[in-house]
Amino acid sequence: MTKILYSDDLTACFSAWRKEGTKVLGPVQQAKTSGFGEVQDAKELDLDLVLTDRTLKELFFPRTEPMLSYSIGKQQIDTSEFLPSEHPCIIFGARPCDAAGMAIDDELFNWDYRDEYWFRRRDRSVIMTIACKESDDFCMCTSLGLAPDSAKGSDILLRPLTSGKGWQVEELTPKGSKALLPIASLLKEGTEEAAPTAEVPVLFDLEACTTWLANPENFESHFWKEISERCIGCGTCTYLCPTCHCFDIQDEGDTYEGIRRKNWDSCSFQLFTMHTSGHNPRNTQSARWRQRIMHKFNYFSDKFSVHSCTGCGRCTRECPVDMGVRETLQAISTLPK
Amino acid sequence: MSIQQQYRSRAKELLQDGSVKMVIGYGEGTTATRRRPIFITNPDDTDRLVLDAACKTNLAGYLLREGLLADQKSVAIFLSPSGVRTINILASESQLSSAQVVVLGFQIQGDTVKALEGTKASDFSPLIAKRKEKRKAQPSHEMTRKLEQMTPAERFAFWEGEFSRCIKCYACRAACPMCWCRRCVVDNNQPQWVNTSSHTLGNLEWNLVRAFHLAGRCVECGNCSEACPVNIPLHLLNRRMTEEVLTAFDHYPGADEHQEPVLASFRKDDPETFIL
Amino acid sequence: MKIAAKRDEAPGVKTLRLEFQNPADQEKFAETYRTGMFGLYGIYGEGESTFCVASPETRNDYVECTFRQSGRVTTALAAAEEGDLITFRGPYGNRFPIEEFHGKNLLFIAGGIALPPTRSVIWSCLDQRDKFGKITIVYGARTVADLVYKQEIDEWAEREDVELVLTVDPGGESPDWKHHVGFVPTILEEAAPAPGNCVAVLCGPPIMIKFTLASLKKLGFEEANVYTTLENRMKCGVGKCGRCNVGSVYVCKEGPVFTAEDVSAMPASDL
Repeated sequence: MTKILYSDDLTACFSAWRKEGTKVLGPVQQAKTSGFGEVQDAKELDLDLVLTDRTLKELFFPRTEPMLSYSIGKQQIDTSEFLPSEHPCIIFGARPCDAAGMAIDDELFNWDYRDEYWFRRRDRSVIMTIACKESDDFCMCTSLGLAPDSAKGSDILLRPLTSGKGWQVEELTPKGSKALLPIASLLKEGTEEAAPTAEVPVLFDLEACTTWLANPENFESHFWKEISERCIGCGTCTYLCPTCHCFDIQDEGDTYEGIRRKNWDSCSFQLFTMHTSGHNPRNTQSARWRQRIMHKFNYFSDKFSVHSCTGCGRCTRECPVDMGVRETLQAISTLPK
Repeated sequence: MSIQQQYRSRAKELLQDGSVKMVIGYGEGTTATRRRPIFITNPDDTDRLVLDAACKTNLAGYLLREGLLADQKSVAIFLSPSGVRTINILASESQLSSAQVVVLGFQIQGDTVKALEGTKASDFSPLIAKRKEKRKAQPSHEMTRKLEQMTPAERFAFWEGEFSRCIKCYACRAACPMCWCRRCVVDNNQPQWVNTSSHTLGNLEWNLVRAFHLAGRCVECGNCSEACPVNIPLHLLNRRMTEEVLTAFDHYPGADEHQEPVLASFRKDDPETFIL
Repeated sequence: MKIAAKRDEAPGVKTLRLEFQNPADQEKFAETYRTGMFGLYGIYGEGESTFCVASPETRNDYVECTFRQSGRVTTALAAAEEGDLITFRGPYGNRFPIEEFHGKNLLFIAGGIALPPTRSVIWSCLDQRDKFGKITIVYGARTVADLVYKQEIDEWAEREDVELVLTVDPGGESPDWKHHVGFVPTILEEAAPAPGNCVAVLCGPPIMIKFTLASLKKLGFEEANVYTTLENRMKCGVGKCGRCNVGSVYVCKEGPVFTAEDVSAMPASDL
């Protein structure tokens, strides 16, 4: 016997959670682009999407967020911090690759110094992930050691029923179990089977890639220039990546009062590393693309023993010139070590 | 012989006899329906070139890659008519010398591709002149008209909604062959002309500044809207600007390389009343 | 923090002495600050800039920073006046292991605006002079006018327990210049300090570091005895914003102080 949640009961679940003061968010279509938004009714959800255009990370690490406001007087500077509220929320219908991305970034945001902006949002949120029945040409979770039903980063995993009428419910964390309490009466015990998960082909040999990347000689390889020749240096791959976490800090206002904000930033941009003197450690687009790949599959893994990629495929899916992690790693896995 | 075959052989000849050092074209992409820019320098690789109705990206911007044309050698490039217009504008803005560009011209019509006669950008001037007349006669796009009929408040709300999605990835700028500034206005911080944050105000500032910088320069190639990962219909702004300069100044950007930039030149019969 | 004093060092280069407004902050700073660490100095409305703490750990009741006016923040900092308030975040990063230098000869090499991080170590050592052997300072700048801390240079020149070698790039000398003319690596090789029982501290622009490291190698210095600082662009200072890394090393957390051995292990083209 497994716990089953039927689609027909979903709106009732949402009401039950809302009654507890919990916000409910899920995948929705917002003017030609899909992402996560607040929902009242299950009808608003678009659960047929293979993957939303925009990632789950925006709920924890928004593209721009105020950090503090300041006002400057003659004798003192007053500041007040805009820490995110701890208002609980449930994210219904995330995908395993996106959820895994949040667990990966936990490592970084907790490295030595705990980033309150990230963790307040992480702590207040319950991620209910739906395993994938379908994939598209760009999905590559299996190449990264994950799967269409990976539990990493999720609090609850839902497996779609063969009948298409609901999901098997798997509790993964205490936070997840707690979130099910208000909807306990709406969960049924049943034996209905779960649908098979999507078949996502393995596209490259990750180990061969990381071995090649770890060889310092290859850092200077001509490969980097060739593979990134068509890169136009926009931030699409980084901004639509569930794990890319780089940011900028900008003040907006005048010298009397204003707001200090944390904005997404991208290693693709030339200015990202430019010194005031004009010296730029990563002065070419190929050096910047190499940084992105090395960061994900060598530097990050060196520090946190996990690659900073979940195989969601968005970098390739959305790239204006059809580049991406996939092509690069596929090419690397064929190179001599 | 298919146009693809024809252009592959042409590219091979050009590389073999040394008349060009590189061919910029399209190759197969990640999926069957995708095409990607490729750069061929070895005559034996010309079989990788693909030319079909999926080849929509305007590749002209790649010619401005740092140092590419610095050695005075020529480069061949697959260009649609809007791509050729791009070359004309870049030449008129002193960004490249059209003598170094060998055009492999093509035109997409529905599902088919047609070869265009000519090798130099100037060979296409009569064709572009025809397109100008066609553009003048062409009624405004439905959405442009709809926007035109809105009240300013409604129009503002429309664009506010569209721009609210902008994530400031600058894919529009990176994909646009006209965005060749070494340092974009948005990257200048002394003073900080444009807010770098991607809140609605910052997004509005950025997208409108960019639209104005393209007025009279945009060839409507569609690279910006294609590149935008959040599907903002940026071309609507540019289309409106194009119609404006066409009516006000009879200016069709990129008609030929001697054309003066419409907003950076002055003629006595210009309709401005505020200039003496 | 309050700007207690402001000094012009060279054209476009200024030093600010900052004092804590809150004694608790001062105590916390004194507890954590060690020579080599950096801070983010800011003016609300403009932003923050990263520089080393130029004052030594032996004088920790204030913070000094020296910077060249070039960007938005440094322009605002340069315009700030004595008595004005600015922000300071830090100290962040690692430190020079000064205790390990005890009993050794010290060779300080600095170029241009990179004297500040070196100066912090110099004073930390001079303030406890008896713990170290011979102290040599090699300092070069583009022109005579570009030399910073001129008053302190005079002070070092007068001390008998410090050997000072000054140089300016060819063409940068003034008519009354009595010291060397030539690039730092060349002058260093001429001065030829003995590598035995000696620790070298080297700070300068990337290009100078590159050539000076080669000279030190030629002179017989072991990489493990040569210390330098990397000054990459930073925004957060706490290992999150992702721009200061060289290879897998985050300069803000694992630096800014590295031995030449550490630097050799980094991908050279990303420096």
